[in-house]
Amino acid sequence: MKEIIAMLPAPIRQILTALPAEVRDSLEEIRLRQNQPLEVRYSQQASYVTTSGQLTANVRQGWTLTEEHVTKLINQISQHSLYALEEELKRGYITVAGGHRIGIAGKVVMEGGEVKGIRDITSFNIRIAREKKGAAQQVLPFLFQGGKVLNTLIVSPPSCGKTTLLRDIARSLSYGSEWSSSRKVGIVDERSELAGSVNGVPQRDVGPRTDVLDACPKAVGMMMLIRSMSPDVLIADEIGRTEDGEAIWEAIHAGVAVICSAHGSDLQEVALRPTLGKLMQHRAFSRYIVLSRQHGAGTIQGIYDASLAPLERENLPWSS
Amino acid sequence: MVKLIGSAIILFSATMVGWQVGKLYAMRPVQLRTLLIALQMLETEIVYGSTPLHRAFVKIGRRMAKEIGGIFLTAAELMGTAEALSTQVCWQTAVEQHWSQTVLRKEEKDVLLNLGYVLGSSDRHDQQKHLRLTMTHLRGLEEEARLEQGKYENMYKSLGFLGGLLVVILML
Repeated sequence: MKEIIAMLPAPIRQILTALPAEVRDSLEEIRLRQNQPLEVRYSQQASYVTTSGQLTANVRQGWTLTEEHVTKLINQISQHSLYALEEELKRGYITVAGGHRIGIAGKVVMEGGEVKGIRDITSFNIRIAREKKGAAQQVLPFLFQGGKVLNTLIVSPPSCGKTTLLRDIARSLSYGSEWSSSRKVGIVDERSELAGSVNGVPQRDVGPRTDVLDACPKAVGMMMLIRSMSPDVLIADEIGRTEDGEAIWEAIHAGVAVICSAHGSDLQEVALRPTLGKLMQHRAFSRYIVLSRQHGAGTIQGIYDASLAPLERENLPWSS
Repeated sequence: MVKLIGSAIILFSATMVGWQVGKLYAMRPVQLRTLLIALQMLETEIVYGSTPLHRAFVKIGRRMAKEIGGIFLTAAELMGTAEALSTQVCWQTAVEQHWSQTVLRKEEKDVLLNLGYVLGSSDRHDQQKHLRLTMTHLRGLEEEARLEQGKYENMYKSLGFLGGLLVVILML
């Protein structure tokens, strides 16, 4: 949070520091749009903010972002060097120190039918990354069988704590826990979100035995890690493309456990997606964890086995 | 005796003034050259290294003679401050601050100030185009500066001495 505040232009910095403490501590998103009022999202609520840091529902009372602020903000988040962020601009977001992510929108520049970057950036979505250590505690017992890590798919709608859970699983496996000894973990961090790397150095604690391939496409990255780092467990975020599916198959058959996540609100929905459906049909995954926001981000809705039967703690093979 | 010492002083100072003016003409092409090399380095850093502006500036600033290098170092320093100044302001302030230490003219200053509007604010290809344009501009000015140096450097040097001599003769 400190890193984010430090990189914002002075007026925005003042407003954010003037926010009521409980809002500031539970901030999830800061949304900035040119010529529109500043919006903050916190504990599932959204509100505009006045110049003095008061929350307001009135659009006209909100502090408005001018073009000058936008220029300054871009200068700051790009460290005065937009050209060094070409790849990031193609993807539409920038990861900054502290592992926070800034989504951007504006005028897209195309070249040869492909997105070349974004020019005239006018919208920013600053997502505050929160480390929630211990998020994996509830699910860890389900992830092992006979001392082996099971292939797991985490299913969740956006912003339900999917990435946080995945990161905590990676960390717990890397450190070792009461359920297992420590493992070598390989993370393919295509969107720089899991480890939040800046200049290749993870900004979040992903464990001592973890290797991170930052900003690498998942399919290629998984293969690279298997060859170069011989991980016990591969972690990847937001699986969905055909080549991701193939890479998961390869990894599973190379004796590496895969733990990954996918967007979706329940298993039925995910089963309809071409790549994931196929993987599920072939029982590639032995565990499914479904998340929701029912009791706040990170609520575990259910844990299922390969045949999609729900698992309860009592049904664990060794606890009976 | 006093007269002789007085004339010697006059002659000496007039010669020195001539030398100084002549030196301005000699220094301008040298500093322009340094500036061109600095911008060339910046182009390499940006296009091939994708180095953030701040780091590139420090690197260049340390390697260049201090009149020109100072601009880059100050700009880098301003970028690092907590006030979150825009790139343009950082660059232009640095140019303004160091300008009096250089012998360069307003034309060169305008070219540099203009560069501030685009520095760091577009993709590599675009940055390269703007840097090249700036360098072409400066090369033209360098050419002109060399011609002027050929014409005026020696002239001012002799003029200083001769002027001093004239005053001395008139006084005697």
